[in-house]
Amino acid sequence: MNALRVVIAVVSVGAVSVAGIYLAAWVDLLVGRAVAGLEVRPLDALSAPLRWGAATALKTRTTTERPDAETWALAPALLAALAAVGLAAVPLAPGLLAADVANGIVLFGAAMALVVVAVFLQGWSPNSPLPMIGGYRFIAEGLSYEIPLAVVLIAAALPARSLAIAPIVTSQEHLWNIVRQPLGLPLYLMAGLGLAFWGPLALPEGQDLAGGSSLETSGVSRILWRTAQLLVLVAVAAMGAAVFLGGWLGPLFPGAAWMIVKTIILLVPLIATRHFVARVPTERYVVVSWAILIPLSLLDVFIAGIQALVAAR
Amino acid sequence: MILNVTFWAFSALAVFSGWRVFRADSMVRAAYWLLLSFAAVGIILVLLKAEFLGLILILMMGGEMTIMAVFMVAFMMNPAGLNPMTMVHRNSVAIVAGVVSFLAIAALGLFARFPVARAPAGVDPTRKLGVELLGNSMLVFQTAGVTLLAAMIAAIAISSARGRYGDADQGSVEPDQMVTAPAGDVAAAAAHDPAPVISPGVHQ
Repeated sequence: MNALRVVIAVVSVGAVSVAGIYLAAWVDLLVGRAVAGLEVRPLDALSAPLRWGAATALKTRTTTERPDAETWALAPALLAALAAVGLAAVPLAPGLLAADVANGIVLFGAAMALVVVAVFLQGWSPNSPLPMIGGYRFIAEGLSYEIPLAVVLIAAALPARSLAIAPIVTSQEHLWNIVRQPLGLPLYLMAGLGLAFWGPLALPEGQDLAGGSSLETSGVSRILWRTAQLLVLVAVAAMGAAVFLGGWLGPLFPGAAWMIVKTIILLVPLIATRHFVARVPTERYVVVSWAILIPLSLLDVFIAGIQALVAAR
Repeated sequence: MILNVTFWAFSALAVFSGWRVFRADSMVRAAYWLLLSFAAVGIILVLLKAEFLGLILILMMGGEMTIMAVFMVAFMMNPAGLNPMTMVHRNSVAIVAGVVSFLAIAALGLFARFPVARAPAGVDPTRKLGVELLGNSMLVFQTAGVTLLAAMIAAIAISSARGRYGDADQGSVEPDQMVTAPAGDVAAAAAHDPAPVISPGVHQ
């Protein structure tokens, strides 16, 4: 019975990954066309990710002079695996949890902390200057998103008095964390954009580096790299829905349905930022993060701590 | 059964990747072989029911090995860290030191008497750890924390782009090494010699 539950949980993580990646690619295309003033054709756009994938897979693979071939091939797989571990830490419904650990928040944080390794290796291994600059740039801004991400997640865990995600969800039965800790979700989403190097925070892959860390990546590696990046966004949205929007809690419908709806509510704006917000210069992002975002996240954990003390009385 | 297989598999991975650290020909490769070794040890810690410690080890080492790789590449004057290099030096000393420390640790493992007291059921190791860190040993850890914070701020101050002699990306302007002559002397020299005088200490 327990084994069956694990199998169902793992299969549902796979299903959510595929559906989430496809939805993200679709929404990205629709929002992009709408912002550009083009005719939005949702049904045509439905097959566009597949057409892009086929075209990318059929293109001639480019290579560079003396790359580190093994690392280059493994970097997209590492990113995909880390995103999948992050998603596996999120309970999709009561009891439906692939990675049932007592420290789910720490597991998620560990997987997301290793994303910097995947992006750096992707930029470093082709032995090419612009990707390498992108990789080093991601290291330079790493702490700027990692610290707010970790601190707001700790604040969200405080009312539950647990590092496991399921108690964090149930602790929001009366009041969601988005109300209790109003600073938490905005800081978390900004950090999530940095983590997924997406939209305004696509710094390692910015156009100023002609594509940066994945500039030389082509063929199947490129498909895997893009899908893995979208999967990071899906994992960020799912975790945000669980710890800030009450996860599976909600009336009438089954818990999994609420979880899916809330994940989509967070995923769509994250994706849309790519078309609405200009890319931030790296230096300004690092300065703003250390001077404003990190102090605000410390304030967030301070507020959560006071609330926990008052609640304990 | 599964537990044993997992333990031996990750132990083998930890030893193998630890060996590869010294066979790699680049600082970046060596750093990430070491990260793989640490990650395998982290998973062994999780198997030993020290779940929090194991996951935190992996979390911390991801950033630490990356920073180590960057610093080693910077100090080795090896742009990008892709140029081949050797990770071992002074082989005879290294072999003796390696064999001696292996024998010492192996002897410890074989002959030391380890406590067999089992942890009582229902103990939450994360909670125990938190109480230990922030209860009995709070003063020690807070002192260490403040010391580390001071070191971090000092390191940032030293490496900051805004230095005493201007911004780092503008190229620093060295302070004057020469004693500037008083203005009256320069005027007198100019009156004596009509050739243009370039006063030391005035940057054009």
